[in-house]
Amino acid sequence: MNYEVLTYAVLAILGLISTVATLLAILEKDLVKAVIFSAIQSTVYAFIYYILMAPDIDLVYIPVAVGLYPGVVLFLIKKTERFEGDEG
Amino acid sequence: MKAKEIVIVVSVILFVLLVALALSIGALGMLLPPPSVREVAKWFLKTTFDPHNRLFSAMAPEAVTAIVWDYRGLDTLFETAVFFLAIIGSVAIMRGISSKLEVGRGLSLIVKTVTKITLVMILAVAASIALHGHLTPGGGFQGGAAAAVVPLLVLVIFSIYFLEAKGVTKNTMLVLRSAGLIGIGLTTFLTLLIALPTLTNAYIFQNQPKAYASVGLPYEIGGSLTGGSLLLFNIFEMFAVAAGFTLVFILLAIPETEVLKMLRGEEVGH
Amino acid sequence: MGTEFLNTYLFNVLVLTIFVNIAISLYGVFARPSLIKKIIAVTILSDSVNTLAIIVGYRGWPSPTTPPKPPVLTVLKPTAKDIELFASTAVDPLPQALVLTAIVIGLAVTLFLVFLALQIYRLYGTTDVRRIAKLKG
Repeated sequence: MNYEVLTYAVLAILGLISTVATLLAILEKDLVKAVIFSAIQSTVYAFIYYILMAPDIDLVYIPVAVGLYPGVVLFLIKKTERFEGDEG
Repeated sequence: MKAKEIVIVVSVILFVLLVALALSIGALGMLLPPPSVREVAKWFLKTTFDPHNRLFSAMAPEAVTAIVWDYRGLDTLFETAVFFLAIIGSVAIMRGISSKLEVGRGLSLIVKTVTKITLVMILAVAASIALHGHLTPGGGFQGGAAAAVVPLLVLVIFSIYFLEAKGVTKNTMLVLRSAGLIGIGLTTFLTLLIALPTLTNAYIFQNQPKAYASVGLPYEIGGSLTGGSLLLFNIFEMFAVAAGFTLVFILLAIPETEVLKMLRGEEVGH
Repeated sequence: MGTEFLNTYLFNVLVLTIFVNIAISLYGVFARPSLIKKIIAVTILSDSVNTLAIIVGYRGWPSPTTPPKPPVLTVLKPTAKDIELFASTAVDPLPQALVLTAIVIGLAVTLFLVFLALQIYRLYGTTDVRRIAKLKG
């Protein structure tokens, strides 16, 4: 069983999923949904760090980018506006 | 519009797949990773735990923690300074604002009961990550970030008034963070303090005995590895980081109506 | 020969998706008018650049069935042969240490930006940069 081709194939598919999540996060007008897409992209990055054999950074990245950072931005959205404005 | 977004997503995926094909045939020549690491990395890997080479080794089996706190300790010093400046800047923007004691409601009883069980488990995992930082992947910042999830959960599920009634206020967290940073500063100079009575040389951030400075901290106590100064650095860094994040959450969780009342009251009443 | 071309192609797909992420988040920073969307795009940008630094530190597989190992020595009393084996199958630890510092600094700057955006909303009543630009002080 050739594990090398399997590992590189999984890495390529995870990279494509992260690009889709980034696109949807930037194009979205509702800011709460944009934060959720950004958290999905951070989870995919955490998988990529694990397969690339970097466990120290994985342990920093999961609490910071999936737990603390969306919490802070959701507090900010609650106190300011929720939808991206369209008027000039 | 859903159709427009789907068209954009599919076209970006096709773009990535086709340009990668063009690159790998040999247009710009991106190759596979090389079969051996660079010479600098070989030096770090060979001297991170070598009992036969005491002059150059850092005596900690975890290469990344040894690089962060021993080989390149000055980088970590400036990173801690930047983090400290960001927190002080945030405290300065929200000066003069504090929440009064009231009775908060929080979420329902089911959520509160489940949270009480999981909070203790999260704290135990965070302490384990921080204390084993010199043996397994982990360390001070990892443990501190995992322990900072607990105040965020308590702020959302119970309320900020519950947290303040338990004694976790802005000033308490500032004191805890300052205590952690003082601990890191003392550990930096610890070898110097040990070397002063015997009048030998010592560097800052020094962990093991080096060529012209033959004083160091013990790397093994009773058969179990301690990594010299790495264990002390990890403990103090965990307290400092967890207290810093808790401070930011307390500042952000005060309800906006109270903040505006305090701000307008200052402007009009003076 | 076919397997090596397939490995190179899949690795190039991964590197190119990280570059495309950087490009999309850079577009999001200067083309979206809301301050909060700009903050989200800045964090995606810094995360993607950190991932690129870690990909640089990877090494090729010693053989198709043994992957490279993380840079942690797992032997309590290592001999010279153990250290030689460790140095020939472990990934590079130096980019990981630098990315650790970079993540903490990026987080500190983002926290400060969040407080500044909050203060702008309290003073001017809006987070739309086009309306703030028209305010004339």
